[in-house]
Amino acid sequence: MKVVEINDVFKTYHDTEVEVKAVNGVTLSFEKGDFAVIVGPSGSGKTTLLNLIGGLDQPTAGEIIVAGHRLSELKPSELIDFRMEHVGFVFQSYNLIPVLTASENVGFIMSLQKWPKEKRMARTDEMLQSVGLSDRHKSRPAQLSGGQQQRVAVARALAPRPQFILADEPTANLDTKSAETLLDIMEKLNREEEMTFIFSTHDVRVMKRARRVITLEDGRVVSDERTNHHS
Amino acid sequence: MITSIAWKNVWRNRTRSLTVIAAVTVGVFAGVFAMAAINSSIVQRIDAAVNEELSHIQVNNPGFRGSSDIANVIAGPQKVVKVLDETPGVTHIAERIIVRGIASTSAGSAGVEITGIDVEKEQQMFTLNERLIPGTGSYFGTDTRLNSAFIGEKLAKELYIIRYILSEESFTTLEAEGVPAAVAAKLRPLENQRFTTEKKLTEAFSGLLTAKEAKLYGMKIKEAAWSYREGSKIILTFLDADGMQTGAAFRICGIFRTNNDFFEAMSLFVPRDELRRLTGMEEGQYHRIIARLEDNDQTDKASAAVKESLPGLEVMNWKQIQTDLAMIADYVNRIYGIFMVLILAALAFGIVNTMLMAVLERTRELGMLSAIGMNRRRVFSMIMLESIFLSIVGGFAGMAVSAIVIAITNHTGINLVKYAEGLEAFGYSAQLYPTIGADFFIMLTVMIVITGIISAIYPARKALQLNPVEALRGE
Repeated sequence: MKVVEINDVFKTYHDTEVEVKAVNGVTLSFEKGDFAVIVGPSGSGKTTLLNLIGGLDQPTAGEIIVAGHRLSELKPSELIDFRMEHVGFVFQSYNLIPVLTASENVGFIMSLQKWPKEKRMARTDEMLQSVGLSDRHKSRPAQLSGGQQQRVAVARALAPRPQFILADEPTANLDTKSAETLLDIMEKLNREEEMTFIFSTHDVRVMKRARRVITLEDGRVVSDERTNHHS
Repeated sequence: MITSIAWKNVWRNRTRSLTVIAAVTVGVFAGVFAMAAINSSIVQRIDAAVNEELSHIQVNNPGFRGSSDIANVIAGPQKVVKVLDETPGVTHIAERIIVRGIASTSAGSAGVEITGIDVEKEQQMFTLNERLIPGTGSYFGTDTRLNSAFIGEKLAKELYIIRYILSEESFTTLEAEGVPAAVAAKLRPLENQRFTTEKKLTEAFSGLLTAKEAKLYGMKIKEAAWSYREGSKIILTFLDADGMQTGAAFRICGIFRTNNDFFEAMSLFVPRDELRRLTGMEEGQYHRIIARLEDNDQTDKASAAVKESLPGLEVMNWKQIQTDLAMIADYVNRIYGIFMVLILAALAFGIVNTMLMAVLERTRELGMLSAIGMNRRRVFSMIMLESIFLSIVGGFAGMAVSAIVIAITNHTGINLVKYAEGLEAFGYSAQLYPTIGADFFIMLTVMIVITGIISAIYPARKALQLNPVEALRGE
């Protein structure tokens, strides 16, 4: 089942007098349960493509369809609701809400979605357990290590059961052990919850785990390979 | 959740938030306390006007107030009493005879308004008897005899009934009042000298003391030297019902001291029956019938009802008689609002600045919130709530401090004796007891919330203008 369809998408930026084609005619689709990485050198358009898929940015041309929604047809306010309902984001620098505890951070999107309190609490506990942080549920981000914060961010992204997770360089700030732990957790959740993961990364640790590697260069897809890796 | 985050965000930068809260606290306190002090002055003046001088409603013959003609008596006084009695809120009614005349002693004379009162009734409805200066008599008390007069201190001074003598007793008082022995010693040359006016005494002791001593202890010296011979007599002359000049000697049964120099100088009270006998007025004839209400707030409604029931008579409430006082009370109420708006407007700039810093510092976080699905309304609400919390915490702290300081100063009073002469010339007390109504605090709470909302608009708009992609890229 296709979760994301990208049809001949372009994204052009006008930097003073120079026109930069960050995404240059990309056509791709992602299936439910994919564990895919988008790789490529800096400036190849990875993050831009992720932003377009996540509805954070609009393409200059082309069409992106996510869960039946043509993103170009959505108004900015509808895009925000779309992101809340369908997309889970994991950022390079964790981006947790510093004044909330781990538990409150995980429950945050569910509270925006107005989940009943009991159901929300149960799902929060479940997700914290999945990422191995049940004992740190009352800790604030500043009291957690980088790896732990990123695990909370993954739990937050997954908790409301979005259509897919977009993870932009999720391991870039983590040491090897923390990165491996995080990838173990994401693989487990991909398997257990059949959650689609789309990464952008430079990290070979992530590439090694991926079942699909898409390579971008100058905004174009130069390869799209299925690997033999099975989690 | 948004409320909880907003509250927690307020405390992210404690020092900065506490600084703004402290500014709001001080601003609100300054505003509230200044207003409570001003308000007390007005409230005390109104209380004095109602409780000592005018009462709430007066009914007169329409020609009386303009001419003071003794013949201008109220037609149908029984009906007036009945109407007043049936008016909701009226608690006391008293009838008065009033004549204009001259009070004189061997040393001086003054024009006065002589009011014949029913002593018992007026004692129930007024508190003027409580203004009796101790040692000057017993109001119309146990030794009440005919020809007793209750007069104001200012009038007593004009008639030279009050004199100033630094007796041995005065020196004992000065010592008890904490006047240094060295200062008292300098005053010894004035011992037992009689001064007919306060001014003469002041000139005398100012020549013996340093300017600083005179300023520090002048009031205490004047009070210690204040002297009155109990049972002093005055002569009152006025026209009787036939237009013939008449008069009699009156023994002073007490001197009252109020904050209204004009009232003290003009007013003189005598038993009504005695004045009736001397003027030859008939039984049941009155110039003025006054009524007291349960509550000052009933004044307008009650006086309007009485006026409607008594066509042909002049019905006035205290606000219509003392228009200046009513105007000042109304004016002060408006000033309250303007004053507070100005203070809060100044504080709003501080809140705007703080909130703007908070928004700019959290660009990446706000971008993240937008990315994960926090819509514009929620972001706006969060910033708005943070601003309101800042304002409310500071505002409530300011109101709490104000309430405490007002409660304390309401008990102890604030002494403005330095300005007593000027204030009392206009009928205002030099001793303030700050007070302010609960309704003002309610209004202020609303104003503080509005300040918080207005202060949040610009920073919140800034937050809404953030593009999540650019914000996440790292400012």
